[in-house]
Amino acid sequence: MSAVGLSPVVLQLERQSGALRPQVEAALAAHGRPLRWAITAVQQHTQGPALLQIEAVVLTGPLSIDAVER
Amino acid sequence: MSASAPLPTLLVIPTGIGCVLGGYAGDALPAARLLAAASGCLITHPNVMNGASLYWGDPRVHYVEGSSLDRFAAGELWLRPVRRQRVGLLLDAGMEPELRQRHLQVADACRATLGLEIGPVVTTDRPLEVSLSLGASGVSWGELGQPEALLRAGSQLKAAGATAIAVVARFPDDPESEALAAYRQGSGVDALAGAEAVISHLLSRELGLPCAHAPALSPLPLDPQLDPRAAAEELGFTFLPCVLVGLSRAPDLVPAAQAGAAVHAGTVAIDAVGAVIAPAGALGGAAVLACAERGIPVIAVENPCLLNVNAQALGLEVLPASSYSEAAGLVLALREGLAPAALRRPLASLS
Repeated sequence: MSAVGLSPVVLQLERQSGALRPQVEAALAAHGRPLRWAITAVQQHTQGPALLQIEAVVLTGPLSIDAVER
Repeated sequence: MSASAPLPTLLVIPTGIGCVLGGYAGDALPAARLLAAASGCLITHPNVMNGASLYWGDPRVHYVEGSSLDRFAAGELWLRPVRRQRVGLLLDAGMEPELRQRHLQVADACRATLGLEIGPVVTTDRPLEVSLSLGASGVSWGELGQPEALLRAGSQLKAAGATAIAVVARFPDDPESEALAAYRQGSGVDALAGAEAVISHLLSRELGLPCAHAPALSPLPLDPQLDPRAAAEELGFTFLPCVLVGLSRAPDLVPAAQAGAAVHAGTVAIDAVGAVIAPAGALGGAAVLACAERGIPVIAVENPCLLNVNAQALGLEVLPASSYSEAAGLVLALREGLAPAALRRPLASLS
């Protein structure tokens, strides 16, 4: 059984004002440590914030290389 | 080309999103060479530079794995050029003996013919179990069944003195797939790219070393309709030569927290970067957004792909370019201190 895991994640995130990257990284942090991510679609609304689609792979499990060494 | 000081420039062409230029077998390399000449210092990633058996060495190009590029753009890493790296070779235990031997012979060829320092070689203690997948948008992603085995082998290489790591993982063969046929004929997404990125991202981030990946696959039958952009991957038995050459002079990755005392000539930090170049429909990645946050000019190049995450959708100000040739002109203008707006018409009055 592997303690370190890689999980695909797809999120829909309402855009808030300010820089985008911290918003995306904060949303992904709830699922694990983001290893690779991108905003892959943006849905604009005439009223209200845009909806961002984010696809990612996150790392779950030990936080250090030491944890996987025998 | 320019008497002005180099303008460090980031070139990002995300892997696995089907870019018409850069979505195949190192087919963005000519654009990278042009941009290296225009900027005098180009920082880019393996997807741009790797042409399987084909590669191009240029001392103006810094070869930086994608997740390290993201961290560089975020100000977490600095890049320190080196004369050479000692490239450890990490082989997937899932490779058949003959395929493994082919890769070892490539490494020997690069030692004997190119003078690279390669070794040691470590084989994972179990097969890595790579699988391929597509995301909701059609973008190539991928999974790795045994990430711990990858990290254990990488850790052994680092302990044995490797300063960079080339990874070869056994990828699933699927010679009859429609996606592969489309890719070979120049109309599809590189289905391997997403899993490749996951492997190199994981290793580079956890070990703090330059890393890059080559997939191990069985040779494909001849395709008379092969697109020139995919042809570099059909010249030999492996995709490894470009990775070994790229890593052999990849810059060291210096954590910003340690960089203050270690700065020496040639070290590059994000503060020095004068432009970032990315496909106009793929501006939603970490490196581009980090640069935009810092006010670094974003050059958005017309390079159709699966995505349509453009400047308007993200509310970014960009310099549009219809081609990489035009982007090179904009980089040269920035390097010379010219305002790009002065090169376009109409030129609006200040009043």
